[in-house]
Amino acid sequence: MSEQPNPTPPAGDEKKGDEHINLKVVGNDHNEVFFKIKRTTQLKKLMDAYCERQGKSLSSLRFLYDGERVQSHNTPQELEMEDGDAIDVMVEQIGGQINNM
Amino acid sequence: MSNGILTSRLMEERKQWRKDHPYGFYARPQKNDDGTLNICIWNVGIPGIKGTPWENGIYKLSMLFPQEYPAKPPKCKFTPPLFHPNVYPSGTVCLSILNEEEGWKPGITIKQIVLGIQQLLNEPNPQSPAQAEAYELFRRDKVAYEQRVRQQARENAMT
Repeated sequence: MSEQPNPTPPAGDEKKGDEHINLKVVGNDHNEVFFKIKRTTQLKKLMDAYCERQGKSLSSLRFLYDGERVQSHNTPQELEMEDGDAIDVMVEQIGGQINNM
Repeated sequence: MSNGILTSRLMEERKQWRKDHPYGFYARPQKNDDGTLNICIWNVGIPGIKGTPWENGIYKLSMLFPQEYPAKPPKCKFTPPLFHPNVYPSGTVCLSILNEEEGWKPGITIKQIVLGIQQLLNEPNPQSPAQAEAYELFRRDKVAYEQRVRQQARENAMT
């Protein structure tokens, strides 16, 4: 494009906060859902949207990034997420009912 | 001093992993106390396959990359050590693809390694025992062995 470069390019940090990244949520059926989210937006937004889409409640699912549970208040920036990263979603389960044995 | 091939290869492995990894697994370089990454040590979680006594457990493992990687394979060590016929009492996994004199090839990716270890969980090789406890029970009493594996899965249930 012949557009002139922006006369006041945003500073690195500001740009990062404002920038959208694409995240992929992968379910146990290997079904993938893609989301676009700002780095500074709480992941609650993504989680709620995913639950609504799947017809599930937030309490019935857990979201894992790098093996750790994603909390609603976390932001992509906090978790150092990058464009294209994948989040695993699992059905909440209770293991180890030892007293039932 | 870290070797250039090792670093670039592991950075690339990490990049690919972030974009696409087998469901339920994690693999990330360890963080130093100052927040920087130690690219030579990865913390890995391997889930048990559904429908096997290993299911619902996620087994933690350290992957230690030698300076000669990828000419030499990483050392894979369950932390804490795992009850499994092909895991040494130290936790180190005994698997052909992780042995430089056997099946290791520099092209084997981290994804292939973790999937290989996942498969090994429920398909132990009794011809090559690495620990007496799991091997003896596996040979002597399959029912008791399976119970022990299920108990271990509960102890390693994801929180």
